[in-house]
Amino acid sequence: MTNIGNSVKFVDSANDFHKINANETSVSIKDVTVSFKGSKGTFTAIKDINLEIKKGEIVALIGHSGCGKSTLMNTISGMVLPSKGEVIANGNPVKGPGPDRGIVFQNYSLLPWLTVYKNIYEAVDSVFKDKTSTEKHELVEENLKMVNLIQHKDKLPGQLSGGMKQRVAIARAFAINPSILLLDEPFGALDALTKGSMHIELLKLWNLDNRNKTIVMVTHDIEEAIFLSDRVVVMNNGPEATIKKIVDINLPRPRNKKDIAHDPEYIKVHDELLNLLFDKFSIED
Amino acid sequence: MIKKSAISIAYFLGSMAILIGLWQLVSIITKAEIPSPVSTWTVFKELMVEPFYDRGPNDKGIGNNLFSSIGRVFTGFLLGSIIAIPMGMLMGSTKIGMSLLNPIVQILKPVSPLAWFPLGLLAFKDSGGATIFIIAITSLWPTVINTAFGVSSIPQDHKNVGKAFGFSTWKYLTKIVIPYALPHIFTGLRLSIGIAWVVIVAGEMLSGGVGIGFFVWDSWNGLSLEKILVAILIIGLVGLILDKGFNALQNLFSWEGK
Repeated sequence: MTNIGNSVKFVDSANDFHKINANETSVSIKDVTVSFKGSKGTFTAIKDINLEIKKGEIVALIGHSGCGKSTLMNTISGMVLPSKGEVIANGNPVKGPGPDRGIVFQNYSLLPWLTVYKNIYEAVDSVFKDKTSTEKHELVEENLKMVNLIQHKDKLPGQLSGGMKQRVAIARAFAINPSILLLDEPFGALDALTKGSMHIELLKLWNLDNRNKTIVMVTHDIEEAIFLSDRVVVMNNGPEATIKKIVDINLPRPRNKKDIAHDPEYIKVHDELLNLLFDKFSIED
Repeated sequence: MIKKSAISIAYFLGSMAILIGLWQLVSIITKAEIPSPVSTWTVFKELMVEPFYDRGPNDKGIGNNLFSSIGRVFTGFLLGSIIAIPMGMLMGSTKIGMSLLNPIVQILKPVSPLAWFPLGLLAFKDSGGATIFIIAITSLWPTVINTAFGVSSIPQDHKNVGKAFGFSTWKYLTKIVIPYALPHIFTGLRLSIGIAWVVIVAGEMLSGGVGIGFFVWDSWNGLSLEKILVAILIIGLVGLILDKGFNALQNLFSWEGK
């Protein structure tokens, strides 16, 4: 492992138990179309999308603003239901949000009147109705320790920095132990340095869980998508957005943030993604 | 900090000086038909010698009258709030609730408290009950409207939390709806207690017996304008204290800016 600076490790940690269960399907999106009825008629955000995501995979959805990438992810979370087609998550058709799918929202969505501890506790309490309060308490503490926020557990979200808030949101999503983790532009509001360490934190948590959790994330950051994902799904511009191309990221793990930039594979994929996102601009501009 | 509060105290004293100056002026112009601040002060001191005497019905100290009024105001206000907060929540959380209840609120809100008084008498066969009734029914509207506004303006982000983590209705209500709406509810309660305090004086002029409103009316019958002026000042001061108290409560329960 390589260290950059004194304290911030920009490197993904190693994991001896590395096993991607490459044959199990985690999410299956079948012919999904999402339309919204508005005052000016029907608006179709995404059209006829098909996508299979394997268990333990990290998949990034990338595209320009308003291309429907969040909408696509929300069909997995169940916050948006498809107008046509269906989404199968963990073998069950998605009919709404469920505890098998944890969501980290774009703007953290912490409840500002609850302490860090309480924000996580209420989610845990809601999902694990059968656990005793001691068990729930331990679960919350454990997850707070995982994101290094145990000493801030009695603070209100308003007293935290953006990166800390995001760690609370991630701890909350992990605490309900979902098999699928959905991240909606999770690091968009963070500065580059915080963002870098958050990437490592996320992969660390993923490794701790033996890479059993499927992660689907929406982003518009190419470097972030390459560093974290196994596959990057590039979307066309909406309305009626479709998948333009799925790019495999064949970079070995653990990945090193500093070294990765010089890897020929990284440079190739980076260029490819840039071109996929850029040609749209050059035609229209 | 100290300098700042010293300045605000100076402004307050200045403001009081203007009030007393104007009052003195009116007193001079009316040839003391409106009593001067000094003669009012003399009467005030007399009233304060024994503020809690009780010589049977219609003859009680100003303190008894005041506390009886405050008691009624809080009873009426509490009853009104018990109706107003759930009603506002119902209006704020569902479109149907809003569509069905809002016209009722709009029609009943502008009705004068005095118009309700006979209905109260009919219902309670007692002027005390009727006074509490008119306070409840006229003071509840700001709480209804502000609660409804607070509940209806819960940001989608907060609602998503409840949805994503499968909050029960009870948890959604106690951990999201009420905490978010609480500052708005307190704004409503503050406006409501203000109205309740205005209404009590009118109500007690009709109901008689005891209360600060009755005291004003009784002083008019006894032709003691000084007593009326004392009562007006006390009514104003208590109103100010109630407002400040609710303002403090509002700040206490507000999570914003924490």
